[in-house]
Amino acid sequence: MKPIAAFIKKEILELIRTGRLLILTILFILFGIMNPAIAKLTPWLMKMMSESLSETGLILTEININAMTSWTQFYKNIPIALLIFLLLVSSTLTSEYQKGTLINIITKGLARWKIFISKTLVIFLLWTIEFWLCFWITYGYNNYFWDNKIASHLFFSAFCYYLAGIWFISLLFLMSALFQTNSIVLLISGAVFLLFYFASFFSDIKKYLPVTLLNSSYLLAGNNNISEYSFAIIFTLLLLIINIGVGIIIFNKREIK
Amino acid sequence: MDILTLAQVSKSFGNHKVIENLSFSVPEHTIFGFIGQNGAGKTTTMKIILGLQKCDSGSIFVNGKPVHFGQNQTNKYIGYLPDVPEFYDFMTPLEYLKLCGNITEMSKDKLQQRIQQLLELVGLTSVNKPIRGFSRGMKQRLGIAQALLNHPKLLICDEPTSALDPIGRKEILDILVNIKQETTILFSTHILSDVERICDRIALLHNGKIAFCKSLEEIKSLHKNTQIEIEFFRTEDANLFAKKYKKTQPINNTKLLCEQQQENDIVTIMDVLVQNNLSIQRLEILEPSLETMFMEVICK
Amino acid sequence: MNIHELLPFLIPLILAEFILLAFTLHHILTHKNYKHGNRILWLIITIIGMQFIGPILYFLLGKEDN
Repeated sequence: MKPIAAFIKKEILELIRTGRLLILTILFILFGIMNPAIAKLTPWLMKMMSESLSETGLILTEININAMTSWTQFYKNIPIALLIFLLLVSSTLTSEYQKGTLINIITKGLARWKIFISKTLVIFLLWTIEFWLCFWITYGYNNYFWDNKIASHLFFSAFCYYLAGIWFISLLFLMSALFQTNSIVLLISGAVFLLFYFASFFSDIKKYLPVTLLNSSYLLAGNNNISEYSFAIIFTLLLLIINIGVGIIIFNKREIK
Repeated sequence: MDILTLAQVSKSFGNHKVIENLSFSVPEHTIFGFIGQNGAGKTTTMKIILGLQKCDSGSIFVNGKPVHFGQNQTNKYIGYLPDVPEFYDFMTPLEYLKLCGNITEMSKDKLQQRIQQLLELVGLTSVNKPIRGFSRGMKQRLGIAQALLNHPKLLICDEPTSALDPIGRKEILDILVNIKQETTILFSTHILSDVERICDRIALLHNGKIAFCKSLEEIKSLHKNTQIEIEFFRTEDANLFAKKYKKTQPINNTKLLCEQQQENDIVTIMDVLVQNNLSIQRLEILEPSLETMFMEVICK
Repeated sequence: MNIHELLPFLIPLILAEFILLAFTLHHILTHKNYKHGNRILWLIITIIGMQFIGPILYFLLGKEDN
């Protein structure tokens, strides 16, 4: 356990000293605040717009702002935050290949799977912290101004999205075990995502795909059934284990130059 | 006992054979010089020993245990200094060595002690800034400390002096000589003077094969036929001497080269010089250098 | 709409943005080499897009991998 702990400590130190932790934390805080802020500003924006619109004959009726408006914003913005997160952490293995920093560590006798697992765990942990930080900030504001009870399955739908994020990270790690440079890792991971995305157009396999979890916000309105997502969750967990497992096998057999 | 043994190791990249049926062994407590031109396959050989690259055929034993590509338990016995060592540059030397120590599961007290000892050896005790700002020489010295951390039985150094200035080179060579009692050193280079300075045994790698593998004394004694070079002041003197003493070859107008077949040849030469009253600038016995041997093999 | 209603958003937003901006500017000014672009370009981008786009772009495209 000691070698893994030491390497995890190094990874965390790297996140702190390179400023990546700070940037991501501020970013997710900003996103967390912005969701209710935009919701709160909506009537005011509408009023501004309706003044100009009324001249053309369109009349906007008074709109109702509540926690749902804010949660809709949350699911609208979180993909951007996830994308930035993935871009910022994607080079965690490839930058070590490029710089050759793993050579010393491997020649010291640290088993390769320990390197791979430590890195994966740290990025999982980072996503966990950042995602739920963003979630709880929005949740707090929503509770203060409105009432969160209006949204059903709030935690379950957030968990679905969170799990999809974890799957994305595992995909990046699998590709990092396979390829040498960051741009290729991002490109191929993007291609795999598109593949899943197009596959989700076919309704018979849609319920199994991780990308389905990204649409979990439909649950908030209360018109979906939780059990519809259970296949996607099980299948995503399965893919997650496969990604990490295959990643380790490939990483073990990699030539490190 | 041999700490490292390679038997019939081959490796090719595509059609290009980098090393072919390479076999040699390194006895304990020696400094083993591994020389060859750039691209001769030195680095590849080392990376195969370390399990970083896969060999196509053959077997390698470190401390009597076989090397397996990928999962390499024999790395416990090895300390490795790459040609350009790369570190996590956001860390300080102390933090980096602690990381390395914890990876190899050294106990806390032992590690603390060893780190102090090594930082002193490489002269980095008072350096407490991130590795980011280090010079090449400092990185190389930290590389040695890192490689020696867990008392390796075999220290592998890949061109440790090639990128350094003369002072940096001397520092590294001195450190290597100092640790000879503790460990065995396999040391690759293309700088022959470094090899002559510190190595006990030498292997020359050429076209993926070992051209020769001998101790430094053996190499020196190989060439019994040393040569004597004489430099005169005037061309006439040189010509006259060439007429009197038959076995000479002219190098230029004032310089002559004589083959030394017997030990007392030099006395004969001096005798000829005295009898003909010839003054000379210089009389020198040319020792066969590693360079001449190197050139002989490479230019064949 | 009055300003008091917006204060719970504005104060943390502005605070977070300023920390991000200050950190980014500090990083740009203390580093000489960038993956792409140069110092002036990154200063301009960071200040124009200072809400968060500028700093994020810098850390994605400008910050060198040491």
